This record gives sequence, structure tokens and C-alpha cells, in this order.
Amino acid sequence: MMQVQLTVNGQVYERETTEYKTLLHFLREDLGLTGTKEGCAAGECGACTLILNGKAVNACLVLAVEANGAVIETVEGQADGNTLSDLQAAFARHHATQCGFCTPGLLMSIQDLLRRNPKPSVDEIKAGIEGNFCRCTGYVQVIEAVLDVTGQLPQKGALKHV
Amino acid sequence: MNHVFQYRLASSFQDAVAGLAELGADARILAGGTDLLVNIRAGLMAPTHVIDIKAVPGIDTLTYTPETGLSIGAAVTVNALMENDAVQAHYPLLVQCAHQLASHQVRNRATVVGNIVNASPCADLAPPLLCLDAAIEIQSADGARQVSCREFFVAAKQTVLRPGELVSRILVPAETADGQGGYKKLKRIQGHDLGIVGVALWRQRDRVRVAVSSAAPTPVYVGEFAADEPLASVQEALSAAINPIDDVRCTRDYRLFMAGVYLRRLWQEVV
Amino acid sequence: MYDQVDPATLKYVGTDPARLESTVKLTGQATYVGDMVMPGMLHARIKKSPHARARIVRIDTSRAAALPGVRAVVTGEELDYRLGLYVVDKYILAKGEVRHYGEAVAAVAADTLVIAERAVELIEVEYEVLPPVLHPLDAIKEDAPLVHPELGSYDYFKPAFTPRPGTNIVNHNKIRKGDMEKAMAEADYVVERFYTNPSVQHVPIETHVSIAQWCAGDEVRIWSAAQSPHTVKNLFAVAFKIPHRNVRVMVPYIGGGFGGKAGIGLEPLVAVLSRKAGGRPVRVQATREEEFSLLPCRSGLQQRIKTGVMADGRIVAQQMTQYWDAGAYADYAVNVQRAASYSGSGPYEIPNCWVDSYALYTNKPYSTAYRGFGHVEFHWGIERHMELVASAIDMDPLEFRRKNLLRPGSLTITGEEITAHTGNVIQCVESVAESIQYGQLTPDEAAREKATGRKIGKAVAALQKAPAMPPFTAASVVLKMNQDGTVTLNVSLTDMGQGTYTSLAQLAAERLRFPLEKIHVAFETDTDRDPYDWQTVASKGLMLSGNATILAAEDLLKNAYAVASQILRATDHDMDHDEDKIFIRHHPSRFIRFQDIAVGYAYPDGNGIGGPLIGVGKYIAQGLGHIDKETGQGLPALDWTYGAHGMVVEADPETGEYTILKIASAFDVGKAINTGLVRGQAIGGMVQGLGTAFCEGYIFDEQGRLLNPSFTDNKIPTAMDLPLEVEAMVVETAQIDGPYGARGVGEHSMISVCSALGNALQQAIGVELTHMPMRFEDVWRALNNKEPIDNWITKSPVGSCRSAPELRKHDGVKG
Repeated sequence: MMQVQLTVNGQVYERETTEYKTLLHFLREDLGLTGTKEGCAAGECGACTLILNGKAVNACLVLAVEANGAVIETVEGQADGNTLSDLQAAFARHHATQCGFCTPGLLMSIQDLLRRNPKPSVDEIKAGIEGNFCRCTGYVQVIEAVLDVTGQLPQKGALKHV
Repeated sequence: MNHVFQYRLASSFQDAVAGLAELGADARILAGGTDLLVNIRAGLMAPTHVIDIKAVPGIDTLTYTPETGLSIGAAVTVNALMENDAVQAHYPLLVQCAHQLASHQVRNRATVVGNIVNASPCADLAPPLLCLDAAIEIQSADGARQVSCREFFVAAKQTVLRPGELVSRILVPAETADGQGGYKKLKRIQGHDLGIVGVALWRQRDRVRVAVSSAAPTPVYVGEFAADEPLASVQEALSAAINPIDDVRCTRDYRLFMAGVYLRRLWQEVV
Repeated sequence: MYDQVDPATLKYVGTDPARLESTVKLTGQATYVGDMVMPGMLHARIKKSPHARARIVRIDTSRAAALPGVRAVVTGEELDYRLGLYVVDKYILAKGEVRHYGEAVAAVAADTLVIAERAVELIEVEYEVLPPVLHPLDAIKEDAPLVHPELGSYDYFKPAFTPRPGTNIVNHNKIRKGDMEKAMAEADYVVERFYTNPSVQHVPIETHVSIAQWCAGDEVRIWSAAQSPHTVKNLFAVAFKIPHRNVRVMVPYIGGGFGGKAGIGLEPLVAVLSRKAGGRPVRVQATREEEFSLLPCRSGLQQRIKTGVMADGRIVAQQMTQYWDAGAYADYAVNVQRAASYSGSGPYEIPNCWVDSYALYTNKPYSTAYRGFGHVEFHWGIERHMELVASAIDMDPLEFRRKNLLRPGSLTITGEEITAHTGNVIQCVESVAESIQYGQLTPDEAAREKATGRKIGKAVAALQKAPAMPPFTAASVVLKMNQDGTVTLNVSLTDMGQGTYTSLAQLAAERLRFPLEKIHVAFETDTDRDPYDWQTVASKGLMLSGNATILAAEDLLKNAYAVASQILRATDHDMDHDEDKIFIRHHPSRFIRFQDIAVGYAYPDGNGIGGPLIGVGKYIAQGLGHIDKETGQGLPALDWTYGAHGMVVEADPETGEYTILKIASAFDVGKAINTGLVRGQAIGGMVQGLGTAFCEGYIFDEQGRLLNPSFTDNKIPTAMDLPLEVEAMVVETAQIDGPYGARGVGEHSMISVCSALGNALQQAIGVELTHMPMRFEDVWRALNNKEPIDNWITKSPVGSCRSAPELRKHDGVKG
């Protein structure tokens, strides 16, 4: 067992943890922050994406003890109380979430992308979310939400009646 | 993790190699963890200890000087490499290949050294480092030694590393800086995927170097050629150097064919 | 359209509100089963078979049981419960014999996952390995080893299925329409081809997960990521022979289903562990690797299609033989196969038609429902075949389709007459053809060809699907008015992301004439709370539960008006209502507010009348019946949703590499209730279809071991894999018995994507692909007339990387 102290969404947590526990399981089991999901536990699907010391990472490939002293941002920190972040609101408007399981990871990847690149092109958005599998949406409405929140979507994606 | 192990944070390379000496094969070095933790979970490795080297002073340092070339510390991540101005300016081939390595999240953890020490035949950073004639700096209780990248890989997932040794840096010589290159990688999808076959090419003035991934038990350095060399003889050297297999990703036939096509196209584009 | 409504009056139907649960999902506050922790909860892990077929000689669990922290160990030997939706053929844990790689043979519940994992490693199983039957065409041979020698003793749903004891044929369906042999003999041309596709995985991002608690008195509580809570309850109660009232199934948020969670899954296993652990709740969550082999997949299909066609392009006869690879258990596979038989021609009029469709047991992971329910697989063959027939008779494929597509007056292969209300497949095909500018290259495209050296091809593929369900399938909805006049909707159809709850809320708001904000749909379904719904499958949810919602809304209003009529001393036709109150038409100032009658009205003197306002709606599919077992004739389809995809692909004529430039899709949805959600289904399914088209598929070695049970070697599309341009369109030919004319479209977007790609590749570079997926190497081999690689059961399972068998311990299947 080791003692770790870390800051998650501005809150400081101090806990003992087994040394083999991943940061993902630590957040979910020890801190009760279950917004971050596990989809493959092998760094392939991105459902567990969070921001660790300013960088998007797969929390399934980080040990809790490696995150000692770290500053972490998760999906639980995106909204301001009852007010969704602009990105979250755009996701709602554009139907960018379906089952919702990959959504927390996608939101964190995009948050990270927008800090690095406040006006990403479609190709840059695609590259930014390449590491996040979504089996429901087909990504198009996710990309539209990002274009909207960055002021690059002249009109909402529409179903065409023929 | 479903496997129990203990964690040590090494304060120096001496500390880390002392740990390796003490624990032997029961210990594994942890840097990015993007292969190690996956392998532990998969039951392919079962260390009793992992030794985290990320706190070793200077280990995440990436430096370039026109005189000494590029030095890539063992904790330098793939993204840090890609984002580095000097790397972009002087070794664009490294950036091109790094772009093809996994996803952004993985590249934020995965280290350049880790991609090499795992000695996967499909390591995306092996072909450029082979082309750039990089040297691998190895630490052990006896001190440091250097091995050419071209001698580093010995068999599938095997390197010249001996028990008790770890890689501390990769050194890319100044002589191979500044040129033009390209990397073509065959994948099953356009998103992040392991390479089915990959060809890298680096040209400096009238010299051209070629290396290949996923076409033999290890990444392969094909060789150095004159820019006016007939393509057919380069193709011949490529065929002699690689020995791909049939597997679930692809057949040997198609790997051979695509390696040839990619070489030809890169040659046409760059040379 | 259920009843006549002036579209101009619609306020919510046909609009684009955000899904109801957006906020809870976007903030990470939606609770999935894997997020739940019950007091005293144990964690389970499963011991799985490393063999495809073997006799279990001995299982020794003593070392596992002795491990501190282990609370229960179970093996198949001590359990005698068999499960099955249509054919009751599957034990909870293998008993006597394992029938597929990855099958569960024992399970452990322990204080922690680490202990459970360690205990599973300590279980020793001795096997006598038997030769497996892996290929469906081997399974149908007379001397094939039998996967289920005792098939003759199994219970099964007799009106629809016909198992053949003594063989591996678990079901055989026939269609016999017209005089196929005579028409075939008289045809100008006969074109015959064979089409194949392997088994694939659904890949929901949330793997299967269940918690069960077996309490004293055989009261069982189950929390599960299950699409169909009442089916879990029903099958569970039947298998364990306990009263239905004792079984309570709760389904919180589900992280995607796609059919893989449609039936019963891990629930019985965790329940028996809980029973053995003295009633402590037990959770199991499948690893990603287990998702591929322990849990079910989509059936592979081998099909032969022989078509007789006249020189003018009219199809006069078609004979189809489908060999479905069900895997080791029948599950939904027999019904997938059955649905594929009666829909087997696709949306074409075939005057003389034979179908023989077989579901075959093999020693491979068993198969189940998967978005499209067989239609992705057989449309691969049908829509490739139409392209190949057209090229064989030298006719433009679009023109050939126009001649043969269903239209009012056509008879389907089961003898159903198509009417003007059935849906318009021709309009779908024409729309996508127009969208991709079929039959020509634009100047930009021509320039692109010149610049890249690649060739651009354009093609279309059509599709049809009806819900595959028992003819008497039913659903129900309860609307309850809250004390402030808002309304809660209870339904046990689940919303696993497809968005039906939002559409139901729109229907309720429309029919109640209440603002949408006043409608709350209760997520976190509970069979103790929510009225019966058969299953959340088949794209039937919107139609059946939508109709039930409309009826519930009418019932609620009727009950409200009954109370109001007493208070206002008026008859129904003297009253009207708005979102807030019921009032007298000719004296609008005399009214009673809904909130004052929501739970009963109190007169000023304290007298009460009315009571809580509840509306009940129930709907059962009308007019359907079992099809005739000998001829396949009858009415199996609630509604047909038609559609088409148009594809523009750019292919490298040297290497076989390709890029999709555009996909345009059109579906006749009757009425798009929520246009944004329909678009989400259209695009999401299309991209899932691309995965099937590009590269997804199970690869086995010759011993039947799965070689690619992970994301390392089973890739799914990422954002990088999107076509450069995507267009989603709808045709709205109202379905008379659909809610506001709507019909389902959840599955259809995935169907025929692969065929459209195959057709477009043919147009681009002339390859005549007959197997999917279409990896670049497959295209290259076709270009060079090399023998196709059939590596779905590979003779050379040599892995260069992590897929090598000796390195592949990660699925927990150890020898």
C-alpha cells in the first residue's frame, strides 16, 4: 500500500492505495468518481480519457501511484454546477451522445484539443478524437458539436426530407 | 490491474539498475506504461516489482545542438518528440512516423525509448531511428555503453539488452539531421492501428536510407543508397532484407508487394 | 398514420429536441451497472474453455475454494438449468462438454476482483479434446460430429422453428413461391454466385455487466445492462422454476447494446454465485476479451444465389440457399436465420422464388441478434448479386434495380401485397443516386482521379427490414400525472442510446397537447414498476411503444375529463384543454387546472373525487401470423422500412487501397418523429456498417481458437475512418398503423453499407468481390485474380505480434 495525494477537479484527495491499482480504478472505486469509464483496459478505446497534469491520457494505463501529486480533470469537473459547459451544451444540441458510455472520454479529449487548438479544422478534430471509440454516433454529430462550439458551423447538420 | 506487484520510484539510473540487479527478472522498468501495463494485464508479464524511472533527474530531457545532434531521454514521450521545434526542423521523419503511432492519449504517455526497447517488429519509431543511425545508450551497474540502433534488435521482441540493463537515452547524430523523408504504413483502418507493413525513407543530399517495419521478426534497416541508384537494385535490397509472415493481419504475399510499392512511391516522391 | 392528423398542427412530432437524458450523460452522472456498488457486493470471474470442443474429464476447484476471500465457486456439474430463447439448449456453465472456445466452465465470487482472478487460475480443468466442427458447410455434412447430440430432447418454440435431431441443423426454413424451376428454365440468363461473411462482434463500449442478489425465499434481484428486462425476467424464472413475481430486473443506463444484450446473458451465472455466497450481491463485468468469445456474436453466413433474368432485365426466378453459422447455441441465431429467410430477396419482386435457410450449430462462440438481424449479412449477397447480374446482362445496375424493386401491387416472397402505404424503396434509391450524382464524374472528381492516379466508382445498394418478432408481440405504457400537472411515463422498453424515450416524450406531449418539458420518461427500468414490453429489439420500439404512448395519453385525458366533467358540470364535448387546464369551450373562464385534479380533486368542503390520474396504453401487433412451414407464405412483417445507400469510393488500381469520398443514405421512415435522432441513427449505423465492410470479423485457428479477441486485432471505425461527406435523408410515406405514420429505423442504416461499398469498388476498378469484409488485401487479390484469402478459419495462425497463440494469454483462457 502507498499513500497518494492528488487533486481532482480542484478537490484534494489523500488515500492509501494498492500499488497495482490503475488511476481509473482508483478514481472509480476509491473516490467514487464513476464518470470516467472502462471500455477495454488496454489503452485502445479511450473511454477512460482524462486530463492528467494538462495532458489527455488513458487512465487505464496509469497507476494511481504514478499520479501522486498530480492535478487531474475528469468529466465531473466540466459543468459549473447546474450549468453545462459550452461543449456539453453543444453535445446536447447536436445529439453528440447516444448511449453515453464513451461521452466522458470524448468530452475530455475535446477539452484537451481545444486548449491546444482553439479552432480546429475537421481533420484536426478527427485526429483529436481518433483515440476515442464511439460505436453509436458515427462521430459526425460529435464533430458538428465541436465545430459549433468553436464558431465554425454555419448551420446545424440536418436530416434532409426527400 | 488484476496482477499484484510492488512499485518503486527510482531516484537515479544507479538506483534503477540497482533495483534490477537485486530483483532480476522479477522487475520491470516502468516509463510510459503503455506496453508494460497492457502486457501485465494480458498475463504476458508477471513482475513482482515495477521500477518507475520517470523521476530520474533529466530523464525527460530532449535536446538538440547542431554539433551533437538529438538526445532523447528515456521518459520523453512521443508527443513531446513530435511537438519539439528542433525535431520538426531537423528530423521531420521522426515526426511523420510518430504521427502514425497509436492515439494522442497514448502518445502522451508512451515514450520514444519504450517504443524501441519493446522491439516489436511493428514499432513505428524504429524505421526512422534506423534511417537516422541512432545510438542507444544503455545503463547498467557497470556503467553506460552505446549500441547502434542497427544492432539493437536481435529477434522478435528481443534486443541486445542484458539482465540488469536499461536504456537511458537515444542519440541521433548531427550528421543525419536535415533531409527529406517519408513513411508509408499499411493499416486496417485509417484510425490508430498497428502497422501491417511500413516503409520509411530518409534522403540527405545524394544519400538515401531505407528501413522497414512489420516485415520481419524485427524492424529492418535495408541500407543506404545513392540517390541515382536504379530503383530496381534498391527493391532487390529490400526483398533480400525482409522476410514477412502470414498472420491474422495480412499474408506474406501482400506484405512483400506493399513494401515494394511503398518503397517505389516514396522513392518517386522524395528522391 | 394511426389516425388522420393535419401535419401543420404538429408541435413536437417532426422537430429536433435534445435527448431527455443529455445532461445526466454529459456530466458523467448517468449510472451504469458497472458504476453501482451494493452493500456487501462480491466480484466474479469466470473460468473459460481453451478448446472449441472437449469433454470435461474433471474439474478441481478445491484450491480456488480454499483461497482466502473466495465466497463461492460453482461449476456446471452442480447446476441443472438450461436456457434458451427459442431452443432451450444452453447450460449456465458447460456441463460434460464444452462447445466453443471461451465457454464458461466455472465461476468464482470473491471479496475482490484480484482474488477472484487468482482463484480462477487455481481451478484445474482436465479436458479430453475432441475434433471441432467449425465451418457451417462442414457442419451440414452427414458425417459431421454433432455439436448437440441431444438436440431431439430440447424444448423449442414449435410454431416457428424446425430443428433436425441427429444433425447440426437447429432450424430450417423454406420459402416456396410460384414455380421457380420452370421460370428458371425459361429465363434468358441465369446468374449464380456464392457470397460469404464471417462472424463479427457488436462491440458496445460498455461490456456486458450484471449484478444479482439471490435473497431468502428465492427472491431474486438483478441489475443488468440488458436490453429486454421482461425477457430476462421471464427466461430466468422459467429456467429456475421460480414464480415470475419473485424476479425483479432493473436496468439503469446501458452503454450500447446493438442486439448483443437483447436476451439473457450473465444474469443467471451471477445469481447462482449469489445464492451460493449466502445471498450477497455479486457483480460480473466481462473483459473486452470475454466480450468476443464468452458472449455472443453475429452469425457468419454462406449463401448461394441463383437468379433467372430476362434479356430486358426482369427477374423471373431466384433460388437462395443460406447457411447460417449459429455457433454453439441457438440463442437468437435461429430467429435471425428465420427472418433472413422470409426477407431473403431484399426489396425486389421475385415472382418465382425458393429459399432454403439453415441455422447450423458449430463449435464456435454462439451468435445472437445484431443490429439488422441477419439483414446486413444476406443483403451483402443480394445487393452484390444484383450488381453482378446487371453487369452479366450488360445493364446499368441502377436501371436493373428500378425494373425489379418492389412497388404498390408487388407481392413479397411470402405473398404479402405491397401497398401505397408500405413505403417507397424506389424513392430511396433514386434519392441516393441523385445525391452522389450517379453515373457520371463531376469535374472535381475527374480532376481528382487525374491527380491521384486512383479510380472513382459510384454505386447504390437498397435494403429492407421488418421487425422479426412473434406475431403477437405487445408493449405497454403508463402515464402518471404528478401533483404539479407534469407527467411521468413508465415503459420497460429500454433506451440504450437509440433515443426512443425522447421520441415517446414527443408523442406524449403531442397527444396530450402539453409542453415537452412537462413529460418525464423514467429511465432506470424496473420490471416491478414498469409494465410489460416484450423486448427492445427489431426496430419495433417506436411503433409499438409509440402507439401505446398515444393510447395512454388518450386514456389519461379521458380520465381527467371524467373528473373535470363532474367539477365543471359539463360533458366531454363541451370541454377542451390546454397545457394547464380543462375548460368549458364556450365559457373559457370556467376551468379546472390539471394540478388540482392530478391526484384527486378536493371540493372546498373537503369532499374528494377522482383520485390519481393514470393513463394506460397497450398495443399488440395487428394481423400478423406464423408463416406456413412448407411454403413460407404468410404475413410476418409489422412494417417494412426501406432504404438505400449511395457510395462514392476512390480506389487504388494497383494496391487495392481505397477511400470513401461520400455516402448518402435514405430511409422511408414514415414520419421522422425527432429529426436529429433519426439522423443520429442513420449516420451511426452507417459507420457501424463500415466496420463490417472494412475489416471486422472473427479469425479462428484450425482448432477453433479465436485469434483476434481484442481491439488489437479487431478494429472498429474511428473518426479518422469517416467518409469525407455524409448525407442522411428520409422519405416519409406514412405507415397507417404507425404513430403519426412513423416506422422504425434503428437497424436499417447498417444494412447494405457493405454491399454499396462492394458495388462502388466494382464500378471503380472492376473487382467482383463476393466476400466481406473488404480489406485492402482482399481487393488487391481480386484485382489480380488471386485466390481470395479465407482466413476466418486460418491454416496459418502465425502471429507476428500480440495475436500469436503463445502470447495470447490475455483472455484468461489458459490450457
